[in-house]
Amino acid sequence: MSVFGRLYDLAWRRVCHLGGVVLLARAVAARLVTPPWSVRDTVRQLEAMGVRSTNLASVIALFTGMVLSLQTAYTLAAFGAKLYIGEVVGLSLVRELGPVLTALMVGGRVGAGITAELGSMTVSEQVEAMRSLGADPLRKLVVPRMFALLIGLPLLVVLADVMGVFGGLLISTWELGLTPSFYFSHTLRLMTYGDFFSGLGKSLFFAFAIGLISSYNGLGARGGADGVGKATTDTVVGVAITVLVLDFFLTKLFLTV
Amino acid sequence: MSERTSRALSVRRITKSFGAHRVLDGINLEVEVGETVVVLGGSGEGKSVFLKHVNGLLQPDSGEVVVLGCPVSGRPESGLIELRRRVSYIFQQGALFDSLTVGENVAFPLVEHTRLSEAEVAARVGALLDRVGLAGTEPLLPAELSGGMRKRVALARGLALDPEVILYDEPTAGLDPLTGLAIVALIKDVTRSTGATSLVVTHDLAVATELADRVAFLAGGTFAFTGALADAARQEGTVGAFVRAGGVHA
Repeated sequence: MSVFGRLYDLAWRRVCHLGGVVLLARAVAARLVTPPWSVRDTVRQLEAMGVRSTNLASVIALFTGMVLSLQTAYTLAAFGAKLYIGEVVGLSLVRELGPVLTALMVGGRVGAGITAELGSMTVSEQVEAMRSLGADPLRKLVVPRMFALLIGLPLLVVLADVMGVFGGLLISTWELGLTPSFYFSHTLRLMTYGDFFSGLGKSLFFAFAIGLISSYNGLGARGGADGVGKATTDTVVGVAITVLVLDFFLTKLFLTV
Repeated sequence: MSERTSRALSVRRITKSFGAHRVLDGINLEVEVGETVVVLGGSGEGKSVFLKHVNGLLQPDSGEVVVLGCPVSGRPESGLIELRRRVSYIFQQGALFDSLTVGENVAFPLVEHTRLSEAEVAARVGALLDRVGLAGTEPLLPAELSGGMRKRVALARGLALDPEVILYDEPTAGLDPLTGLAIVALIKDVTRSTGATSLVVTHDLAVATELADRVAFLAGGTFAFTGALADAARQEGTVGAFVRAGGVHA
C-alpha cells in the first residue's frame, strides 16, 4: 500500500473510532435518563471504583499540596510574598489540580479496570451471551459503571481538595512558620463557591469521558488476551489525553461564565 | 400461517462478508418444528457465523432469516428481545458470566424476563441444575467448574425460559470423549422431553450420528449437501470424504 493509502486508511479508522464513540455516548446518555436502572449494580461499582480509590486519591492530593506549597513558597519568597501561599495553593488545587489529577488517577486505575473487565467479557462471548438472553449489555454493564463514575469522581475530587489543602497546611506550618489559622484564612479569602463548583463541574465531564472511552475500548476488544491488553493500553492513553484536552476547553468555558 | 405452525426457521439466500472475505455465500435452509438439524463442516467454514445469524447476533449483508414466524434480519436489537426469549443459544465455551455464581447465571433470564419471586426463581434454578446433573452447585463460580460442567450450566441457563428453538454451537468441543457423550445424551434427553427444534453446529460426527434428523454440510460458503447422514456418506468429494473420515459409512 502507498504512503497516501496508509494515511487514508489511518484517517478513516480514526474517523470510524470517533463516530463509534459518539454513537456510544448517545446510546449511553439515553439509558442514563430512562429507567430501569440497577441500584444494586451501581452501588457495587461505586464501592469498587470510588471507595477503593480513596487511599490513592488522598496520598496523591496530600503530596501534591505539599510539593505545591514548597514550590510556591520558594517562588513567592523572591518577591517577598510568601504570606500569600494559602491563596495560591487553595485556588490551584480546587480549580485545577484536584479535578485533573484525580481524573488522571481514576482514569488510569478505574478506566483500565473497566476496559479489562468488559474486554474479557467481550472476547469470551459473555457480552454476546447477554444479548442472546434478551438483555441490553449497555444497560447491564455500562450504565452502572457510568453512574458510579458520575457519583464517585466528584466525591473523590472533594476529598482530594481537602487533602491537598491539608498538605499545604503541613508545609506552611512546619517549613514556613505560619500558623494554621493564618493559612486557612488566606486559603479561603479569595476562594468563591464558583471556584469550588467549577472544579466539581469539570469532574462530571471527566467522569463521562472516562466511562465512555473505557467502555468503548472494552466492548470493542478483539482477539483474546492480546486484544484486551491493547484495549486497556488504549484506554489509559486515551483517557490521559482526553482529560488534559477537555480541561483546557472547560477552563476556558468556566472562566468566561 | 402454515410457516408459523410447521416451520421453525427459514434462512433464504443469506450472504455475509468480513472485509474482502465472503464467509456465507447465499445460504438456504428450512427447519421444521421439532426437527434436529446438525450443521457440519470443517474448521473456519463459517458454521458459528451462520448460527449467529439465526437469533440476530449477526446481521446478514443480504438475504432473509425468519424464526418462529418473526423476521430476524434487518431488525434492531430492541425488536429481537421477545424472540430471544423463545430461542436459546448455547455457546461453545458456555459463555457463563464470570462475576456471577452458577445459581445467578441460571437465574439471569428468569430475573430479566419474568416476575417470579426470589423463592420461585431459586426453586426453578434448583430444578434446572438438577435436570443437567449439577444439583447443589448454585454457590460455585464458573472458574471453579470443569469444561463439561460449564456446558451443563450453560444448557440449564438456556432452558430456563422453556425455549421453542435451541441453537447449539459446538456442544462437545474441547471435551474428552466420555464427557462429550454425556453432553450429547443430555441434549438428546432435552430434545425429547421439550420437543424443541434444535440446530446443532459441530464438526464432531458422533454428535451428528446421535442427534441428527438431517445434516447440512457447509463448505465454500454454501450448504453443499442437505439430507440424511447416511446419504452424506455416499456423496463424492468433500462431503463424503469428511463424513467417511469421521467413521460414518453408508
